[in-house]
Amino acid sequence: MAEFFGTTVADIFNTMPKRFKPEASKGVDVVIGYDCGGEGGGKWKLTVKDQVAKVETVEGDLGPCTATIIASDAETFIGVTLQKIGAIDALSQGKMKVVGDTRMLMTLLPQIFVQYTVPEKKTEVTARGILSAIGERFRPDKAAGVTLKYGYDLTGEGGGQFTITIADGTCTLKEGLDSDLAVKMTMEAVTYVGMMTGTIDGAAAFTSGKVRIDGDMMAAAATGKYFDKYVDPNAEEAEELLSLKVVTSINQRFATGPVMGKWFAGLREKKFLASVCPLCKRTLILPQEICQFCHVRTKEYVELGPEGYVTNFDLVYFASPDPLSGEVRDTPYACAWIMLEGATPEEGFAFEIKREDLPKLKIGSRVRPVWAEKPSGSFRDILHFEIID
Amino acid sequence: MKKHEKNRNVAIIGIGQTTLSSHKEDQNQVEMVAEAVRNVLADANMTLDDIDCIVHGNMELFEMQFQPDMWHALGCGSYGKEEYRITTGGTVGATLVCASDSLVASGQYDTVLCLGFEKLQEGNTTGGITNMADPLWFRNLQTGALTSTTATEMIKEFGKDRVLRAAMKYRIMMDKHAMLNERAHRRLGLEYDQLETLMETSPQLVGELRLIHMCSQSDGACAMILTHEDRVKKGTAKPPVWIRDHETSHRGENMSNLYGAQKPKSTHRDCAERLFKRNGITNPLEYFDVFEMYDPSAYWGLDWLREFLLLKDDAVLKLMEAGEFDLDGKLPVNPSGGVIASNPIGATAMLRPAEAALQIRGDAGGHQIKKEVRHALASGFGGTLWTVMLMLEKELNW
Amino acid sequence: MATKRVAICAVAQHKNEPDLWYRRFQNMLLDVLEDLQEKTGFTYGENGVEMIVSTSDDFFDARTISNNGVTDVIGGQYLAEEKMAQEGLNAIGYANSIILSGHKDLVLIMGHCKESQGESRNMITNCGFDPFYGRATGLDYLNAAGLQAQAYMRKSSLTDDQLAEIVVRSRQWAAKNPYANAREAVPAGKVKASPMLCDPIRQLHAYPVSDGAVGLLLASEERAKEFTDKPVWITGFANCMDTFFFGDRDLTSNFALKKATANACRRAGIQDLKKAADVVEVMDCYAYQQPMWMEGLGFCGDGEGGRFVAEGGPGKYRVNLSGGTLAGNPLIISGLYRAAEATLQLQGGAGDRQVPDAKCAVAHSTNGPAGQFHSVLILEA
Repeated sequence: MAEFFGTTVADIFNTMPKRFKPEASKGVDVVIGYDCGGEGGGKWKLTVKDQVAKVETVEGDLGPCTATIIASDAETFIGVTLQKIGAIDALSQGKMKVVGDTRMLMTLLPQIFVQYTVPEKKTEVTARGILSAIGERFRPDKAAGVTLKYGYDLTGEGGGQFTITIADGTCTLKEGLDSDLAVKMTMEAVTYVGMMTGTIDGAAAFTSGKVRIDGDMMAAAATGKYFDKYVDPNAEEAEELLSLKVVTSINQRFATGPVMGKWFAGLREKKFLASVCPLCKRTLILPQEICQFCHVRTKEYVELGPEGYVTNFDLVYFASPDPLSGEVRDTPYACAWIMLEGATPEEGFAFEIKREDLPKLKIGSRVRPVWAEKPSGSFRDILHFEIID
Repeated sequence: MKKHEKNRNVAIIGIGQTTLSSHKEDQNQVEMVAEAVRNVLADANMTLDDIDCIVHGNMELFEMQFQPDMWHALGCGSYGKEEYRITTGGTVGATLVCASDSLVASGQYDTVLCLGFEKLQEGNTTGGITNMADPLWFRNLQTGALTSTTATEMIKEFGKDRVLRAAMKYRIMMDKHAMLNERAHRRLGLEYDQLETLMETSPQLVGELRLIHMCSQSDGACAMILTHEDRVKKGTAKPPVWIRDHETSHRGENMSNLYGAQKPKSTHRDCAERLFKRNGITNPLEYFDVFEMYDPSAYWGLDWLREFLLLKDDAVLKLMEAGEFDLDGKLPVNPSGGVIASNPIGATAMLRPAEAALQIRGDAGGHQIKKEVRHALASGFGGTLWTVMLMLEKELNW
Repeated sequence: MATKRVAICAVAQHKNEPDLWYRRFQNMLLDVLEDLQEKTGFTYGENGVEMIVSTSDDFFDARTISNNGVTDVIGGQYLAEEKMAQEGLNAIGYANSIILSGHKDLVLIMGHCKESQGESRNMITNCGFDPFYGRATGLDYLNAAGLQAQAYMRKSSLTDDQLAEIVVRSRQWAAKNPYANAREAVPAGKVKASPMLCDPIRQLHAYPVSDGAVGLLLASEERAKEFTDKPVWITGFANCMDTFFFGDRDLTSNFALKKATANACRRAGIQDLKKAADVVEVMDCYAYQQPMWMEGLGFCGDGEGGRFVAEGGPGKYRVNLSGGTLAGNPLIISGLYRAAEATLQLQGGAGDRQVPDAKCAVAHSTNGPAGQFHSVLILEA
């Protein structure tokens, strides 16, 4: 059946019973004939009586009617129904004719029927469909300098294996999984479609194990930002909500004071200085103004380390952005708690472990600091702690 | 220890929450706060005219709003009223309830509305938490509140397989609770038969701490109305829930003494010991009918239960393995789904006593415990391992 | 049985300074704390201080949960420590309630703020406005005060000469206060010639950037004598919030201050504050605020601030003998400095500024843009 304005004449008649407003048709008793010529046309008869509307297709003669509407073609009929074409224009151009009381029709019909609208069309969204158009959503500006190859292993109906390569400001898709992927994400195809169309929360899918990640988790988390958001063709247009993006930044000048000052001065000479509680004797590192357990001011300092052993550590696979710079550290990295030589057993010291040493890092590992070439009295004076073989 | 006597007794007579979700773009801060205030007033069948004082709290740098109670006056209904803004850390929600209890008990205020909120989506949460650390040193080392050191310590004590299983069981139990709570933010539909798969597939964040173990980032607000005994006697819309006592135990910012070779007493155990001693509670596991605990991750949840309940050795694992923290167990923990399911930080610690109070009222809906709840415990967590605890009672008879 | 009234046992102040670039606020607090311990001999824990109310601000400290940075130095280990995240005078109101409730019988209050640490306090107060309109418009507490000053000066016939007079007087008294920041005398001509910051507010009409810290020990009536033989009683405290958007307010009405004053007086059982008060400390960040807040406190009629100054009201009612905020206190803890001076006056410890036989004192503070929020504390010897 021929379509105009995204719909057909038949659909207008088929939806009539649904659009009928019985309470508004009290006392109405009419028979209206419709004759629509051309491709996609036909003849219909509408009977409204006792607050009931009956719609039937008619072959041949329409028979006796209160009024008859005749349209030259389906496009005119649909256009007028959707108010895309003015009824008066159509009538005056002779593309539409009314036999009977035109005024009656023009007031009655809107009163007893809900205005016809074009039904939403459901496009079938498939994982393959989304992925094959991935290049259109690619944002070279966001992916400048990025080289990344990752894969999707989509299982179940509509699934498949795909490798996406981002390099030199381009994005390519190919079927199959390469062996040198930075990360591979395995999930059911329906999960992928749900995540892309927004019916499945991505974070929840990752969390609950619906998505399996093999490889670099940070890379997996970053993939989204190189593309414009996928727009679901079936999604209803929601009200646009604006958000205001502002970076609030106020420069600070932090004092070190005499105690922290001593610590930084010590670093310049490659020394770890701890303050000592005069009562419980614990060695406070970084040095503190007071011993918080004894509520007394500390006065003495003692040099600790530089070597020590690891009591506990955090091996970080998922780094959060630095709150000040927005930069993200390379993962994995480890922040270890270290008992420095000479420290009392209550007090550990935290620092990062040399990346190359991570595979052999364990509780009890002996470590020593690696100093910057020219310590200047800052956090950067210690590059990291390395494991002593 | 001196006897703890209140000037007058105080009850929670209204509880209001907003929906909790990761995206509340349809509301600005003021509108979100107003939603909680409208809900709490409706719950108590009161109007703003009945409120003498508003107590407001959150963490400023999460939303980057300086002294937000000024702008929020529009949504709080504090115009023409007395107002306090009291904050701690993640504990702030619980602190607001403690503060309101003191304000009403003092006789200076009759009816107080407290309000905790957070719109985490409007800021960088992990950045906000990291900014807590000393700017000169530790800020360079910290990564928000993500740590696996507790998991490591528990594994050292009880063995890897047992701890990993217990933690994942705890996590699934919380999700099962959250599935019954229609207000909960994250509801995943996990099943116990997924336990082993999840132990393997959920992405690792830090050491053994996996994404699934960690709490959510949520937007939302919670509000409560508290009033005094004489006002309660005149009749309330919902059954009153009495605040028997509360206690706070904070510690300094220096983390070094937490990770030496020798451990200090945890603030959770310290706080629980003081609170229970003052109130003559010798066996918290027997006394309390429900515990709403601030559990930012599955490992912390598991570890902290033994601190709060003063358990010894592997008792906490045995109870977990036997399902005793389940809704029909010996001491149901977090019927609401807890913090792992929903975490609007400034409101989170208020949601704990709020949910505990709903259990006492019998108003918790889908996640209501079947047996009668007469004594409830709630805890807040924040800062560098801080603790706030509240004891709630159905009857005024202690 | 819970206590009937609460005493301020002792106060300790850090000298206000324009730029303590070499001191962490932790060091400043520790000095104050030790001073307070020396005065009272208090200890921590059972039978000592179990509850601390700190006052600081996340923006000024550039730290999320700013109290976390001071919990150890103020003694919060294994104790209750909560932050008054409003203006500091409210910490006294809150601590008063804690003790009256029977929950704790001693409360330590410790406040700090270093305005010099951040690049600009106006950038901070700009963040106090809504992010959509107020911030974008460039509003901060200074130019909000400018709007209010314009309106109030018209209403009350306050003149530029009178503003200068207020500043000159503030400096005269500050010279006698060892804790004040701006203590050097200024002639009226210099005030009037100082650059315009935000019309009609001139540079010398505005409080200087200040770093400071204050501590107070509060106790129940039963326990106060353990720490002092000169307890100062909190007899009335109240605060009040006005609306946020300027378009919803009459900037000259003193709505919130009048209501806070009425409630504080009701609690203190005072009919006429003007007659009762021997000393008044108001938080006057800008010169126009001194007469305006005095009007709100009921010391002169509506719109009579100009006449109040002309007739020597500030001297007659002994307003801001500390030098006031005009002599320099940080924003967040200005109210604690007001209360500290009021306490010293009632204890007879105000040195060269001492009012003979002072029995009743008023301490005031304000917060938010253009006096959106006010707090009033009434103390009696």
